[in-house]
Amino acid sequence: MNKIGLALKQLYQAEEELADEYVKAGERLAAEHGIWYACKRFAQQCHLHAETLRRLAEPYEQQLPPSDDAAVGETTTAALRHKLSEILGRRPESGMLLMRSLRQLYLQAQEVSFHWTVAGQLAQAARDPELLAAVDELHRETLTQIKWLKSQVKEASPQVYAPGSSPAHAA
Amino acid sequence: MAQRIDDIWGARTAFAPGEEWPQRIDRHLAVGEDEVERWVQSACVLCSNGCGLDIAVKDGRIVGVRGRGDDRVNHGRLGPKGLYGWQANNSPDRLTRPLVRTNGSLVEASWDDAMGRVVETTQRILDEQGPLALGFYTSGQLFLEEYYALAKLVRAGLGTPHLDGNTRLCTATAQWALVESFGSDGNPGSYADVDLCDTLFLVGHNVAETQTVLWMRMLDRLHGPGRPRLVVVDPRPTPAAREADVHLPVRSGTNVALLNAILHELVANGWVDREWVDSHTVGYDALERTVREYPPERAAEICGVDAAAIREAARLLGTGERLVSTVLQGVYQSNQATAAAVQVNNVNLLRGMIGKPGSTVFQMNGQPTAQNTRETGANGALPAFLNYENDEHVDRLAAHWNVDPLAIPHWAPPTHALQIFRFAEEGSIRFLWISGTNPAVSLPELHRIRAILKQERLFVVVSDAFLSETAALADVVLPAAIWGEKRGTFTNADRTVHYSEQAVEPPGEGRSDFEIFVDYARRLGLSDRAGKPLLAFASPEDALEEFKRLTAGRPCDYSGLSYEKLRGGSGIQWGGERLYVDGVFQTAAADCESYGHDLSSGAPNEPDEYRAHDPRGKAFLKGAEYVQPDELPSDDYPLLYTTGRSVYHWHTRTKTGRTPELQAAAPEMWVELAPLDAQRLGVKEGDVVRVESARGSIEARARVCGIREGVVFAPFHYGYWDAPGDDHRAANELTVTEWDPVSKQPIYKVAAVRVEKVAAQDGEPAPAPAVTAMEVPR
Repeated sequence: MNKIGLALKQLYQAEEELADEYVKAGERLAAEHGIWYACKRFAQQCHLHAETLRRLAEPYEQQLPPSDDAAVGETTTAALRHKLSEILGRRPESGMLLMRSLRQLYLQAQEVSFHWTVAGQLAQAARDPELLAAVDELHRETLTQIKWLKSQVKEASPQVYAPGSSPAHAA
Repeated sequence: MAQRIDDIWGARTAFAPGEEWPQRIDRHLAVGEDEVERWVQSACVLCSNGCGLDIAVKDGRIVGVRGRGDDRVNHGRLGPKGLYGWQANNSPDRLTRPLVRTNGSLVEASWDDAMGRVVETTQRILDEQGPLALGFYTSGQLFLEEYYALAKLVRAGLGTPHLDGNTRLCTATAQWALVESFGSDGNPGSYADVDLCDTLFLVGHNVAETQTVLWMRMLDRLHGPGRPRLVVVDPRPTPAAREADVHLPVRSGTNVALLNAILHELVANGWVDREWVDSHTVGYDALERTVREYPPERAAEICGVDAAAIREAARLLGTGERLVSTVLQGVYQSNQATAAAVQVNNVNLLRGMIGKPGSTVFQMNGQPTAQNTRETGANGALPAFLNYENDEHVDRLAAHWNVDPLAIPHWAPPTHALQIFRFAEEGSIRFLWISGTNPAVSLPELHRIRAILKQERLFVVVSDAFLSETAALADVVLPAAIWGEKRGTFTNADRTVHYSEQAVEPPGEGRSDFEIFVDYARRLGLSDRAGKPLLAFASPEDALEEFKRLTAGRPCDYSGLSYEKLRGGSGIQWGGERLYVDGVFQTAAADCESYGHDLSSGAPNEPDEYRAHDPRGKAFLKGAEYVQPDELPSDDYPLLYTTGRSVYHWHTRTKTGRTPELQAAAPEMWVELAPLDAQRLGVKEGDVVRVESARGSIEARARVCGIREGVVFAPFHYGYWDAPGDDHRAANELTVTEWDPVSKQPIYKVAAVRVEKVAAQDGEPAPAPAVTAMEVPR
């Protein structure tokens, strides 16, 4: 068993799961237009990362399946989720849903980042320049995703929680 | 009579590089010149050019205008909108009294009653929900003093981040492209650079229609000795495109690919001023890596233009010595807006052609006072280009306003327009005050906007001069005084500040937005930490004086200006004729307006990261990969839809539709189709067609013309105030709710549509204007 291959497989799986979560969150939050389009793009980015990893993992005895990049918003359930989002999007509870989705995405993106950190260390230990270059570039993209998610959390949270909830001493 | 309707740019006054642009005094008067009682100094508010003019007054009414010969912007000239548009002030359907919604209809009321309702509702919502339930959406048409009062009232008094201008729709990308490259808003150059340049590069900038007087200046160079070379990027055969040495009719939404190919050629041919680049910029290596992947052949395929034409364009840009580049809505309202606008900055930076006579980039403005919403913090920034993420900047602002820094929301960027409407849609915003703008026609996906504004739970206040489509949906309508009926200052795209004097009284009980905002703050009892009224302004001049002190030492330093200095003579630029003449930009961590963003996703850079790599005054070269638009033509919607402007109209025609000459020149909605597309659809010139997107449909007569194949164009000016009963006319019925990730400017120029013929008209031409971009190329 090649353990570096195993680590790359874990990273691959984390990217695929994050892609999946972006797709689902994007559709759940389709009425949040800024989120919807960004999620579509980030899902594609995660799949591209996974594709690159599939190639880079081969020398480490890992045969990974092709990345599952089914287009966003084309299945029947996706269309339903999308429609539902637009109807529920008129209600204030949609803010809570947004916060839950951002939390999930943020945690999963951190997990992916964790695995990239490991992959970077292994690339150096294995003296694999191609893997090292890929980690350098793609981990940066994951970190950018995290920055974006954080900015969304910062913008959304006051609007979701603060109205009607000022501290007792402020009254 | 209306001579300048047909002859839009007037007679040529050709001049050579370095010569003074000759004066030509344009005027239009409804009375004999000897009957004019007074001439009152002002400047034009019907585009971003900011032409100095005098208003003619007789019997207390505006009777005409005359260009100011000594003004640095226009040297006496005026465009058709400026010459004729003043008549809207005298329109019989001006609002003259406040209106309040009673039993479902708007009925006249006193100011006390109307303002009482506004204040009572504000107070109730504040008590129940807190400040985040309040939203404000303003204009690009008010004066600096009004925006400053509004920004202070909202940001320090009420404490909500939900204040933006409709400038978000027109110039947010200009602002952010400047910030991302140079660290701060503010165009580096001067219109005088047009007089000196040897190469002009117009990107998505239909200058001949949107800034007619600037085009006169360019035309006078193009038809004079020492003609500059001209490169135009535009999907339509605009008047500028027809004058060009190279016209690149780019496929809508692909600007980044095209600009990357041009940058590729600059690098590959050694047309880069490496010494200047090394001393004054950061990021060259990364930019070079990005553009390496964009040889002209690749861009040609993506953009649908000829690779040889891209090479020739790059050669012209790469071999000139004084390059002026300009950018407008073809970039700002399209796919990857900020990323593309920044690539134009990169062209000038690689050439080392910025901050030097005849060499600059203009991230143009759309509206006449858009610069001022940006400077005063009435849009997505803090006043005086202060950085909301920099605690020292926020402390400075709080000290200036004498409020607690925590009273000024700065936990995130100020909320952008479409997000404000989103909060109103999901119900967390319950109060929305719209001043001087018409979102019911100008925002994307109109059925959604109307549904939001009609909600029972949303209290809508509109201050406007007319009962616009938006005002008709309001709970309270306040009659506003407009240009010519109030005093104040405003600033154009090349930082020229003009003073506009009050020429006449507003009709009926109309009041300026300044008076309205000050009254609102007073009625709410808003005060600073010392208990002093927050807006303690007896006049607009007091507001300017306070703003001046805040801007001292900032890039937009107004401290040397005053009403006194601006009276008589020419408008005056803040910051001097050119910024960055020493090649030192506003990027130092302590000074910059923002720490910048990832251009693709809009993810903000971390402040600590920025400080760790402090560029200390070097400009940024930021590259970007081309990313295709989200909405592409499909089997169901096979054509690309783009919206834009006509030379004869302004925004939603609130003024120009009430100006006889302008209205007659472009009376009705039309759409443009390419001849081959029309043939396939069986559509002939003038036939009625239905254009449909996933969001709605419109019907209009078709102009078959020289637009690029596969693209459908519609002017965005036509709404419903003069078409009662119709709800299939406005171009924005079809547009998509999506925005640029950095500037948050909506994407008006990329959508997928289908077209079908509805009725033949037997060859009677469409009501499109006979001149300008609609012409079939010869």
